[in-house]
Amino acid sequence: MFSQYFGQFLLNKSFITREQLADALEFQQSVHVKFGVIAIEEGYMTPLQVEEVHEKQKQVDKRFGEIAVELGFLTDEQVQLLLSNQKQSHLFLAQALVDRGYMTIQQFSDALETYKKENSLSDEHFEAMKNGNIEKLITNTLDHAGNEKFGKYVTLFAKNMIRFIDDQAYIEVSQEKDLENDWLVYQNIIGENPLFTAISASEDVFLTIASIHAEEELTEVDELAQASVAEFLNLHNGIYLVNMSNWGTELHMRPQEVVKDATVLGESYKISVHTQRGVFHLILSDRPEQITLNPSMDSELV
Amino acid sequence: MGNNLSVVICDDSVLIRKKLRSNLEKCKCEEIYEAENGNVAIDLVKEKNPDVVFMDIVMPDKDGMEALQEIMDSSPETKVVMASSAGTKEHLKKALEKGAYDFIQKPVTLEAVTNIIGKIIKECEQDV
Repeated sequence: MFSQYFGQFLLNKSFITREQLADALEFQQSVHVKFGVIAIEEGYMTPLQVEEVHEKQKQVDKRFGEIAVELGFLTDEQVQLLLSNQKQSHLFLAQALVDRGYMTIQQFSDALETYKKENSLSDEHFEAMKNGNIEKLITNTLDHAGNEKFGKYVTLFAKNMIRFIDDQAYIEVSQEKDLENDWLVYQNIIGENPLFTAISASEDVFLTIASIHAEEELTEVDELAQASVAEFLNLHNGIYLVNMSNWGTELHMRPQEVVKDATVLGESYKISVHTQRGVFHLILSDRPEQITLNPSMDSELV
Repeated sequence: MGNNLSVVICDDSVLIRKKLRSNLEKCKCEEIYEAENGNVAIDLVKEKNPDVVFMDIVMPDKDGMEALQEIMDSSPETKVVMASSAGTKEHLKKALEKGAYDFIQKPVTLEAVTNIIGKIIKECEQDV
């Protein structure tokens, strides 16, 4: 997880090119072994049990190890052992970059230090990020206002992207103004802390998300493809509602809507979500009553 | 051979209806009807008198909680299973208070559908 964010930093600082980063990440992915796979390899779990935990992860916001322990598939000690095998995946990125001659070990190490300084990270925070702590990574990625208003939402979205759609996905704050894209899916969350939530994507990326979530190849944005992306947003928002309810805030959702060629107008917070098949945007506003769409829709937004 | 249960799936998402239908077919349900909102489900219940209704909560026109209430008023013997991605305690409590048979968290898995259908068949057998 950290590799995607640190790799982007290396790219932004011109340490490496986009092609070199893609190449190194591809290598890293090829050697990165997932938690469930290690658990099977170690003989702790059966493939069916791993599948059951993955299914459960689509319903509740919990880590693989946590669910596996709850279901009695793993002990706490086994989880710790497996985690230590999985940590430090950024070392594979370092290995890939150095082996290919894109960077020296010294340059990589210096870049890590620069990243830590530029982000004013404590040793503890940085260590947690390197070990794949997604909450720390997202806190570091969002600005102050973003963390304050949308931190919990975006952290969960980053997790659900990895769980449902693309395990290499990473996010960054977008500075783009009025985003116009081929397809927009939106859903309002109502209650004490209302939220406008939307996914804005090009047709290609929309179809990619739709196909992955529907578990079948979809080649045109028909009713099924629209329902698939809308359901992904709905599932994510549902888990968010459960989390918020557990923290004492009851919220409700409005039905999702899918519209073509629409722009979201009004003050909103935009997140670029990078997947292996392209970028889409997550658009959020804590003042849904001020959000309008252009062209305007027949149905009311709030 | 089928299990003789008739089922109505009520969900505004064509994807969910498709997946749920596939799971129900694997559970040997042969008589399956689909509704895209609460109003259509209420009409279907009146017309087909199904044993089970799988009901989404968040839907346009008439949501699942309202539809549950009306179904319970008109045909209280129908077993309505609420399905939502937002399985909060409040939702669960409200659904059970209104007379829902059970509540399942989305995405609906084959295991969850198998368990519910199995439970209903067992109850039906005991009633005979």
